[in-house]
Amino acid sequence: MTMGRAMKKHDAQQRLRIYFTGVGGQGTLTATTLLAHAAMLAGIDVVAGEVHGMAQRGGVVESVLLLGGWRSPRLDFGEADILLGFEPLETLRGLPYLRPGGAVFSSCDPLPPLSVSLGQTAYPDMAFIEEQTGLIAGQSRFLPCRQMGIAAGSAQSGNTALLGAACASGVLPFTADTLKEAVKKFLNAKLQESNLKALAAGATFVR
Amino acid sequence: MANTVKNPLLHGVRGERHLLLGNEAIVRGALEAGVQTIACYPGTPSSEVPDTFLRLGGQGRYRLEYSVNEKVAFEVAAGAALGGAMSLVTMKHVGLNVAADPLFTSAYIGLPGGLVVLTADDPGCHSSQNEQDNRYYARAASLPCFEPSSAQEAKDMTRAAFQLARKLQQPVMLRTTTRVSHMRGPVVFDDLPEPQPIVAFTRNPARFVPVPAVARKRHIALAQAMEEACRIVEAGSFINEYNKSDEDLRIGVIACGVARNYLADALYAGGWGSRVRVLELGITWPLPENLVSDFAGRCDRLLVLEEGADMLEKSVRALVQQRGIPVRIEGKDESLTEQGEYSATLVMRRLSSFLECPCPTHLTRPAYAAAPDLPGRPPNLCPGCSHRAVYYAVRQVFGDEAVYASDIGCYTLGILPPLRTADFLVCMGSSVSAGSGFAQASAMPVVAFIGDSTFFHSGMTGLANAVFNKHDILLVILDNGTTAMTGHQPNPGMSQEMLGETAAHLDIEAIVRGLGVTECEKARAFNVKAVTKSLERLKQLRGVRVLIAEEPCVLYARRQLKKQRAAVAQVALQGAEAQRCLKDLACPAFYQSNGELAVNDTLCTGCMVCLQVAPTAFKIKK
Repeated sequence: MTMGRAMKKHDAQQRLRIYFTGVGGQGTLTATTLLAHAAMLAGIDVVAGEVHGMAQRGGVVESVLLLGGWRSPRLDFGEADILLGFEPLETLRGLPYLRPGGAVFSSCDPLPPLSVSLGQTAYPDMAFIEEQTGLIAGQSRFLPCRQMGIAAGSAQSGNTALLGAACASGVLPFTADTLKEAVKKFLNAKLQESNLKALAAGATFVR
Repeated sequence: MANTVKNPLLHGVRGERHLLLGNEAIVRGALEAGVQTIACYPGTPSSEVPDTFLRLGGQGRYRLEYSVNEKVAFEVAAGAALGGAMSLVTMKHVGLNVAADPLFTSAYIGLPGGLVVLTADDPGCHSSQNEQDNRYYARAASLPCFEPSSAQEAKDMTRAAFQLARKLQQPVMLRTTTRVSHMRGPVVFDDLPEPQPIVAFTRNPARFVPVPAVARKRHIALAQAMEEACRIVEAGSFINEYNKSDEDLRIGVIACGVARNYLADALYAGGWGSRVRVLELGITWPLPENLVSDFAGRCDRLLVLEEGADMLEKSVRALVQQRGIPVRIEGKDESLTEQGEYSATLVMRRLSSFLECPCPTHLTRPAYAAAPDLPGRPPNLCPGCSHRAVYYAVRQVFGDEAVYASDIGCYTLGILPPLRTADFLVCMGSSVSAGSGFAQASAMPVVAFIGDSTFFHSGMTGLANAVFNKHDILLVILDNGTTAMTGHQPNPGMSQEMLGETAAHLDIEAIVRGLGVTECEKARAFNVKAVTKSLERLKQLRGVRVLIAEEPCVLYARRQLKKQRAAVAQVALQGAEAQRCLKDLACPAFYQSNGELAVNDTLCTGCMVCLQVAPTAFKIKK
């Protein structure tokens, strides 16, 4: 047997590398998988990379999604075309992964790490985070995801608002309709309504 | 996540394409091969394999067990393979150290039903205490070794590994790494036949009982089996070569495992695809020597790309020396080391010099440098974690007087301030035995911590030894009723109600007493007063002492036991008492706002430990 199936030509497709970052328990991996399903529905080659385990005890959760033929399940600094940040401090921490001129979509709702909660360190200002993002990103948007999620029916669906915003901005190689289809096909029935609303809210936010 | 009632892993037909985690793809591959027995000990990044089998249920296709440790799991699976069943054993890389004894000898006697050994390695130490490369074991014990690089290959190679294992009647290794086990990609299914027929056992002690006279003969038989495996690998199993016909191309790369992905992306990004001949190996042991020799003979210079140890590189170096092939071999150097993980960028920089092609400018310039001094976000014990309550009490009673022997589990996070209850750690089960040795050598008292699953894994043996050899140690068993760190897998300490009908509950206290421990106390972990009182009493004694602190893991209680919190805590009085609790307990549900302490309503689980630590400062929120 050969390894031919993994070797087909991908050159016709647009290649994109997306870096996701958030905090354990936020739903970063669910969002990554949803976007992967959407890309697959659009006939695009997909590889997603995750890290489970220790990282999820309130720590940082990173994942990657590669579209169009990229294969490496781990991104290095400067390789991501898009950064999707589900928490603003983690967006800031993840900026080195972005290639110069890449796009950033991020939540602007801080989840203070323990050292900040305990008053030992200070959480960076949102203005500083946005300014630093501007130093490397070609475009960036910060969304009140939590509030958008709650308005849509559940705080967790705020993640989907972020995906909706990225999709509506035209940086992804598939349409909002494909993303909607993925929500309907792959999310639990009782989560669909809020996620579809959040998707629309994200799109409206960037228009 | 899927809405479908019928899981495609168990119902999908040939030609269907599904997005699967690498570990889920392994499950499908095993089902396509016709697996009948699965034994495991959970461990990141391997756990989703048995957990997926558990979730699927199997409809009578297979039997799955969570064994108490990897050695036992290996022996159960090997025994099943001796009995004729196609068998799978799964574990993380360090688990194979535990299972090394049966690994080596099972390769001598051979296993007629076929056994695949999944070892999930963890380069980069994402959730592990080391980054050992278990391909060494394949070589040391003589197992053919498959190294998938994608979800599709994880499925295809699993199936092929089973077929090879049954054909050779030898154990076969399937070696993944974190990135492959936790990669998600489309997988095209093959047929899902009925489970393989059982290979009838033929009594043959001259083969299956390796007394010295038998073992000597079986060592020869093992070498012959590996020669047969080599012929199969040479015939082209999972080998991919490109730019084969370009005779002028005298520069080559050989790659295996996850490094093949980084190579492919680096060649694409650099536009160097036609500048180098490439040999990708899906099976790295036994080495297809004729094929590699032929490839090397077409090259003047050859770069070997493999994450982890320099095993393939050294094999290729030895081979070309042996066969007198005039080729310069390169491999590990200061840019691509044996430590950590590779990336496309790292491989690209290396290829740039190897191929003598300029590196794209963005790789030679420093990228955006992260803002310095960002607040860290290390993993932490959850709000409402019972370990925090016990660690707080231990610190109050022992402070810096004792040395703290830790073990493997969530509770290793006791390393963090302010709890600081981890001074050393070796491996699963080492808290009690390494703690025993430490106490003997040092003048300091030792308090050792072990979780329930780790106690069953290898803590019992150390405890028996501590009683036998009259060691002086206080062992605190942090019994949260589940295997929390790896995702709440069953263990013998889990309640009978949660275990169901297929497994039996074992009582930890009865075991401790049965092992001869006379000083054994038990307390609810959230009862700070009771835990403190027990610790103070046991502190005054010498010899082997055990405190069992019971309280379900907070996540397990919420998700599986469906226990809701009765109420949350709130700050009743600001001031020194509240600040002391913040400083010493550091519950993640606490936060400071304008110099005042508060409790986050969403994060608080209602354990009410803070009310016991600082009774004047906290109260139940009405």
